[in-house]
Amino acid sequence: MNNSIDPSRRQFVKSALTAASALALAKVAPVWASPQGRHFKDSVLATDEVNLTIARKPLLIGQKVGRPITINGQMPGPLIRLREGQPAKLNVTNKLMEDTSVHWHGIILPENMDGVPGVSYEGIKPGRTFKYRYDVQQSGTYWYHSHSGLQEQLGHLGPLIIDSKDGDIGADREHTVILTDWTFSDPNDVFRKLKVAEGYYNYHKRTLFDTFDDIRQQGLEKTWQEREMWGRMRMSPRDIADVTGSTYTYLMNGRDSRMNWSGLFKPGEKVRLRIINGSAMSFFDVRIPGLEMTVVAADGQPVQPVTIDEFRIGVAEAYDVIVQPRESKAYTLFAESFDRSGFVRGTLTPELGLEAPIPELRPVPERGMAAMGMANMKMEGMTEGSMSSMKSDMSTKQPLPVDNIQIDHANGGHGPGAAMIAKNPVSRLDEPGLGLENVDHRVLVYSDLKGAHEWPDTREPERTIQLHLTGNMERYMWSFDGKKFTEVDGPIQFNEGERLRLVLVNDTMMDHPIHLHGMWMELENGHYPRPRKHTISVKPSEKVSLLISADAHGSWAFHCHLLYHMKAGMFRVVNVS
Amino acid sequence: MKNFLLLLGGLFPLIASAGHAKDDWPEPVSDHYTGRVLFDRLEIARTNQHEQSAVWDMMAWYGGDYHRLVFKTEGENVQNDGAPTDIEKAELLYGYLVSPFWSIQAGVGARGELSSDSSFEHYAVLSFSGLAPYWFEMDNSLMVNEEGDIQLRSETEYEWRLSQTAYLQPRVEITANVTDSEKYRRESGLSNLRVGLRYRQEISREFAPYIGVYWNQALGNTADRLQREGRQTHETGIVVGARVWF
Repeated sequence: MNNSIDPSRRQFVKSALTAASALALAKVAPVWASPQGRHFKDSVLATDEVNLTIARKPLLIGQKVGRPITINGQMPGPLIRLREGQPAKLNVTNKLMEDTSVHWHGIILPENMDGVPGVSYEGIKPGRTFKYRYDVQQSGTYWYHSHSGLQEQLGHLGPLIIDSKDGDIGADREHTVILTDWTFSDPNDVFRKLKVAEGYYNYHKRTLFDTFDDIRQQGLEKTWQEREMWGRMRMSPRDIADVTGSTYTYLMNGRDSRMNWSGLFKPGEKVRLRIINGSAMSFFDVRIPGLEMTVVAADGQPVQPVTIDEFRIGVAEAYDVIVQPRESKAYTLFAESFDRSGFVRGTLTPELGLEAPIPELRPVPERGMAAMGMANMKMEGMTEGSMSSMKSDMSTKQPLPVDNIQIDHANGGHGPGAAMIAKNPVSRLDEPGLGLENVDHRVLVYSDLKGAHEWPDTREPERTIQLHLTGNMERYMWSFDGKKFTEVDGPIQFNEGERLRLVLVNDTMMDHPIHLHGMWMELENGHYPRPRKHTISVKPSEKVSLLISADAHGSWAFHCHLLYHMKAGMFRVVNVS
Repeated sequence: MKNFLLLLGGLFPLIASAGHAKDDWPEPVSDHYTGRVLFDRLEIARTNQHEQSAVWDMMAWYGGDYHRLVFKTEGENVQNDGAPTDIEKAELLYGYLVSPFWSIQAGVGARGELSSDSSFEHYAVLSFSGLAPYWFEMDNSLMVNEEGDIQLRSETEYEWRLSQTAYLQPRVEITANVTDSEKYRRESGLSNLRVGLRYRQEISREFAPYIGVYWNQALGNTADRLQREGRQTHETGIVVGARVWF
C-alpha cells in the first residue's frame, strides 16, 4: 500500500535530511507547520485582516505531484490565529473555475457567516471575494474547510487556532498537527466507484482461507453460526472504511511518512499538540510510543485532564494533548488509519533529522455482534472483545439518560435506503472502539471526558428528537431515518430558545462522525459538567444522547462528516426559529 | 414511444427543491446520477465437440438510487460455422429499488439469429433482481412473447474469495417453459440447466481475466425431443475470458 516504507528508502530520506534539503522540503508543505512550534507569549502571528486565495495548483504530495486546491499556495491552507473577544475579518477570494466556500468548523457565529452553500449563503462564485466578519466568542483548536462538493478531499482546508484572552496555552510550546487523506484520483471518480462497485477500496475482506482458519481455531459450529449471521444480513465484519490506504496517502501537516513532519522540543518542556482530523473519510488511532498524553481539550473545548496512551480521532474531531518528553531523543507521532490500511507518522525531536522506530500496523480488526445491535445476546468467541467487559460493567455502572430512552424504528424499517436496523442499540461511550478493545495501554473513551467548567445553560431538556443514522452499502445511499436529503420535505425544527435532547441511533455497520453547525452538543456521558462537542462519532448500533441549547437563530447544516456519506445524502438542515 | 418518455420522466424527476434554500442558491446536497457497463462474461468457449464460440453477457444501467434504466444482453457466435450470431437476449428495462437489496425490472426484449432473413422473437419481461441472503447474486425473469408463450429463467452467481483479488465463481442458470411453443420449438417444463465455475484474477477491480468450465444439460421434454432428433442433450466446455466493467 501507499504508506509502506521500505528500509533502504527510509535510510535515504534520513541521510538526505540535511539543512539544504530541509529548506527544499519547507517549500512543499505549509510554512506554519514549522518544526519550532510556538511558545507561550509569542506574539500572535495573525494580521488584523486575513486574506485567503483559493486556487488549484500542482504541488508535490508525498512522492508525486498532485493537483490539490491550495489556500494561499499551500495544502493544507495557512494556520489562522484569531484571538478570543476580537472581531474576525477573513476575506476569501475564489480563483477556481467553480463555486467554492469556507466553513469555520466548530465556531459559534451568525448563520450568514457559516459558509455552507445553499444553507447560509449562495457560496463564492469564481473570481469573487467573500468577506467573513464575526466576533470571536471562544478559544481553542478548530479548523476550516470547503463545504462545496468534494473540494475538501482536494485539500481545501486548514487549521484555525483561537488564543484565549490571556494568550496562555497551558504549556511551554505548542504544535498544530492536522491529519488528512489524499488521493491522486479525482474525488468524483472515487464517489462514482463507491456508488457502482461496493467494496471497491476494501482489500481486507474475508477470504475462504480466513474461514478455514476460523474453523481450525473455534470449530465448525461457531464459525458457521457467525458466518451465517453476517451472510443473512449481507454485511461484512471487515467493512470498516469505505475509502482506504489502497488509494489514500495519509498526510500529517501535508507531509507523508517519508517526508516525516517533525516538531521540536527541549527535554522537560511541556508541549501542547493540537491534533485535528481534517481528513475526508479516515478515522485515526494516534499514539506516541514512550510518551503518555494528557488530553486537555476535545473539539476545542477544555476538559478536565485525562492521561492516556492512545486516542481514536473521528473525522472532523480535534483533541489537544499535552506531552512532556524528558529524554533528549526522538519520539514517533503515529497515526494509524482505523481499518489498518495505512498510517502516517511524524516525529517529536530535540533536533532536526532524528527519527524513532515506526510501529507495525496492527492486524485488521473485525466487527462483532455488538455492531449488529446484538450486544445482549450471548455469543462466545466473538472478535469484538469489548462485549465481555461491557457485560461486567453493566451492573456497577450508573445508567445514562439514553439507557432509559426507548428507541422507535419506523414501522417495518426505514425503507430501501436502510439495509439494517439496530435491534437493540446500546450506549457504547465506554468502549474505545473497533480494534482497540484489547490493547495493553490506556485508550481514551468518550466516558473519560468531563467538561472543565459549567456551561451557561443548565436547564433540563424540554423535548427529545430522535434521529436514526441509516445506509445501504450496495447502492451507497446514506441518510437519516432512511431518507436522503433530497427526499425530505423540510428542515428539522428547533424552537428558538429551547433546551432539547437529541438522540442519535446508528442503524448501520459503520462509525459516523455527526456534526452540528452553529451550536454545541453536550454529550450525556454521565459526567457533570458534560463535555461539549461539535462532532460526535457514533459507533455501529450505538445510541447516544446530546443536549443542545437552541440559541442560534437561522438555518444550520447537520450531517455526517464522512465526505462521501454527506454527498450521498446523509445531510439535514436544522432550522432554529 | 409515449410510454418510453414517461419512463424517462420517472428516471429524471425535476430536481425537487428540499425547501431549505433561497431560490437562487444551490442545493447543499443533490441527487447523483451515474451508470455502469459490466461485461460479466466476455469469453471464448471451446466445447467437447471442438467447436469454438465467442460469448458475451453484459449488463448496463444508468440512473439514480431508486430508478434505473437497465440494458441486458447475452449471446454467442460460433466461429467458422457460417451461421449468424445468436442473440440469446437483448432487453431494455426500467428498474425500481423495492427493498435494500432487491429491485423489480420491467421492459421489453428481443432474441434470435442476427441475419437479414430471420425474424426476431419479441417479448415482455419482468425481472426480480438483487442480492439474496448469504450473498447470492440473483436475476429471475419471467418472459411472455407475442404468441403468449411464457418462459422463466433464473441466474444465480456466488463468489468465493480466495484472496483480495482472486475469486472462484460458481454460476447456475435454469430455464423453464410454462407453455409449449411450436413456433420456437419449446417444450413445456424445465428445459435447460447451465452450470459454470470460473477462477478469476483481478488485474484491477475493473479488469479481471478468468478461466473456467461449464456444463450444459437439456432437461425433461426438451431433452426427449433432442434425443428423438438425434442431437446432443448435453455439452461441456472450457472458457477463457475476462470480466470487465467501466
